[in-house]
Amino acid sequence: MVDITYILGAIALVCAALAMVMLFSKDALTCAMALLGILIGTAAIYGLQGEHFVATVQLVVYAGAIMVLFVFSIMLLNIKRGDADFRITSGRFVAAALSAVVFLVAGTWVLVQKIDLEKGPWNHETVIGLGGNTRVLAHSLFTEHFVAFEAVSLALMVALVGAVTLAKRKID
Amino acid sequence: MSSALIPQVLALFLFSTGMLMVLLRRNSVVLLLGIELMLNAANLSLVSFAHDLGRIDGQIQVFFVITIAAAESAVGLSILVNLYRNFGAVTTDRARTMQG
Repeated sequence: MVDITYILGAIALVCAALAMVMLFSKDALTCAMALLGILIGTAAIYGLQGEHFVATVQLVVYAGAIMVLFVFSIMLLNIKRGDADFRITSGRFVAAALSAVVFLVAGTWVLVQKIDLEKGPWNHETVIGLGGNTRVLAHSLFTEHFVAFEAVSLALMVALVGAVTLAKRKID
Repeated sequence: MSSALIPQVLALFLFSTGMLMVLLRRNSVVLLLGIELMLNAANLSLVSFAHDLGRIDGQIQVFFVITIAAAESAVGLSILVNLYRNFGAVTTDRARTMQG
């Protein structure tokens, strides 16, 4: 049995390489496909951690629905392969990359500190004893977070009506 | 690196790459893809912290983030269609009529 750390590390390396492809590719469709790979890799990490329901939602909604919308728009608008958006030697790129590196180093430094965080009650055995990840999440979603759930569903409906209104041609 | 640290560092990396895409790219479809990448990195961080700390609130939060991301991409792409209709291109430097 391979240690889970190695599998996580391999997935993380593939995702990081795909992110670099997204940043430097000139073709919009290549970027979309690289993002699809990253989303599937993220779902694999969720699955390895035992959070199966989030992994399924990630695959169905993110890698399924949202990516279909993106690929559809790219093909509908017939976006051609353009010139490079930026040069690596330009000052703009150097400044932005430097700030990203500072963000990365500072974040990693914070993460490796020994901070005593209070652990919650939901460890792996408790969740399995209560009937699994999906049941525990659904119970929390429809009792504790019920109002937020309804508010988000309303926001989704308003956004979709707004999207249809924006995209349709004006009828005189 | 432990198995708890790897997803967090990956989330940091993906977030900074998405930030660079939003800052540097001129194609607005790619810009929206960068925003999706940043949202996905935030989700990864939330789920990993919820997993490591034995809590489920982080996962509940992820559902809301995914829903808002779906709404955001639908509105964003319809704005993009309008942009294409009015300017004939989706690069951000063509849409500068408000610059005066």
